[in-house]
Amino acid sequence: MSAAPAIEARALAKRFGTNRAVDALDFAVQAGELYGLVGPDGAGKTTTLRLLAGLVTADGGEVHLQGQPTGKRSAAVREAIGYMPQQYSLYGDLSIEENLSFFGKLFGLNRADYRERERRLLEVTRLGPFRDRRADALSGGMYKKLALACALLHRPRVLLLDEPTNGVDPVSRRELWDLLYEFVHDGMAVVLATPYMDEASRCHRVGLLHHGRKIAEGEPAALVRNFPHSTFAIEAADRDAALAMLQQRPEVIALSPQGAGLRVVVSGAEHAAFTSWAALVGGLQLAAVAPDFEDVFLGLEALADASSGVA
Amino acid sequence: MKQLKQQLRAMLLRTLAMSYKELMHILRDKQMLGFALVMPVMLILLFGFAVSFDVERVPLVLVDQDHTPASRALADAFTASRTFEVVAQTEQPAEAERMFRSGAAKVALVVPAGFAKASLHDSEAVAQLLVDGADNTTASVALGYANAVALASSQRSFAAAMGRAEPPIDARVRTFFNPGLKSSVFLVPGLMVMVLSMMAVMLTALTVAREYERGSMEQLFATPVGRLEVMLGKLGPYFVIGEVQVLLVLTLGVGIFDVPVQGSVALVFAVSSVFLLAMLMQGMFISVMTRNQMLASQIAAITTFLPSLLLSGFIFPIDSMPPPLRVLASILPPRYLVHGLRAVLLRGVGFADVVRDMAPMLAFFLVLLALAARKFRREVA
Repeated sequence: MSAAPAIEARALAKRFGTNRAVDALDFAVQAGELYGLVGPDGAGKTTTLRLLAGLVTADGGEVHLQGQPTGKRSAAVREAIGYMPQQYSLYGDLSIEENLSFFGKLFGLNRADYRERERRLLEVTRLGPFRDRRADALSGGMYKKLALACALLHRPRVLLLDEPTNGVDPVSRRELWDLLYEFVHDGMAVVLATPYMDEASRCHRVGLLHHGRKIAEGEPAALVRNFPHSTFAIEAADRDAALAMLQQRPEVIALSPQGAGLRVVVSGAEHAAFTSWAALVGGLQLAAVAPDFEDVFLGLEALADASSGVA
Repeated sequence: MKQLKQQLRAMLLRTLAMSYKELMHILRDKQMLGFALVMPVMLILLFGFAVSFDVERVPLVLVDQDHTPASRALADAFTASRTFEVVAQTEQPAEAERMFRSGAAKVALVVPAGFAKASLHDSEAVAQLLVDGADNTTASVALGYANAVALASSQRSFAAAMGRAEPPIDARVRTFFNPGLKSSVFLVPGLMVMVLSMMAVMLTALTVAREYERGSMEQLFATPVGRLEVMLGKLGPYFVIGEVQVLLVLTLGVGIFDVPVQGSVALVFAVSSVFLLAMLMQGMFISVMTRNQMLASQIAAITTFLPSLLLSGFIFPIDSMPPPLRVLASILPPRYLVHGLRAVLLRGVGFADVVRDMAPMLAFFLVLLALAARKFRREVA
């Protein structure tokens, strides 16, 4: 790729006390790319986004915009970046239109530009009919769409979204994603933090975060394709007993409930050992299944835990 | 040059946007608006009527054992003003003591039999004034009054004896600017301090903390808005409310408590405005430091009530305080407003004379603005 990435984190680090929230994090997102920061709560997703947005000062590393280090140029950062925090951060006692107009003024939009963009954003978010409604009277989905509209008013080149579909019903969630794809199609770089695997798998590329470190990166499909381990769906008469037994097995990397049964990720090298052990024990119905993105994530996370435990 | 002008314009527009947004918050929050406008009226009525240092109608029991024109003249001298009110007449001093104990009387005038005779002849005429010392203010006023009465009647009899109409030396005390020494007249500037400082600091102490608590600070800091713009923009609407409060207090003071306005009304507003800025900034500073509405409001209450009551010179003269308190009082704005307002309202001085009061308040504002801007990090978490 010849063009400099729209936004890039280089060895980014931030600690709170002894806790390394973000640890030597590298990643780059191109214009027109939707990048997912994926990880459980506490993995460092929010801190990473705040570092990118300049809302938290890094202890180490740099953020580059279009190949230029941001350093102290906070004005340039704010012009280039649109940020939508996870928590409720608009003014609940102001209406949709008043919130938009307030942020429009802060970004220095002139009246004509503002009118045009407001019209367009209310149209795509379909919030137009509710423009006089107070923000705290909006449903979760409408609120998020308003927050998105506020973050997009100044036409940022980079959009940072922190768990944008948290507390949003499935229909609005689909709408939000359709919107995102539109923006990305038009050349915006989007960094999205999510703990949901189904959402992660809709990103162009993902970085898996674990204790502030990136443990894997790539296209979701490629990560699944290149996953060297095996996944089994297991049915057992006594699930609790089966769970206790499986937890003892060294071949088992990760274990999660699935319906009435269990789903395990088993080290690829020990695939055969595991099936013969299961046959010996009896009472377990094993079915080898294709790993999905969640298996990949749980497997990689468990392996990272194990290796950091050794180190 | 052109770029600088553009930048300044952008800053101004963002500041105005902040002000407008804050105004919306205030207008939507009817409780807060009501609080801001009703509280000053309540405070001034409450303080204006209840807090009075004028001693009036002190209950006096008259123990007249003489029953002569001279004894009645002495009694009349005490009851002529509104200071004393005769609540009982008796011949028994024991009765007076009983009334002291029950609280029915605070002063007793005892005129023994033979008072008139003694004053006609050259021997000493002795009348006794008993005072309930448990009430210190009343006691000292009663004593002062008694001395004045005694002096006046001695002078009269002395003059009569010397055959002159006028005593040789006539000391007359004239009190300038507040001839009746009425306390409401100097209370109003003090009340202005109480009302403005408590309301202004409380209102702004909540405003920045609220943005942190609501989470809106995160969104705000993701925009190009600057810290100074946030703070000054937020001050705007509260400044307007403060000016309305000045108007309310002043109107009530003039209308109900007969406060004279000897100087210019514009100057009253000018002095009050500088104080208002200082107080609004104090609240803003508290808000920036605490980031927590509950804590901010408590600190606001403590840091305004005591200084405006005790260190303003409103009630207690600053000159007689121990040095550390004097230093503190000369840093904090309340004393300057009290001094400045008294000067303009009662003495009618001009701008040149209140600059010395305005300058320290302005300095207080600027120092806190600088400190708040330093402590106000563009960071969340």
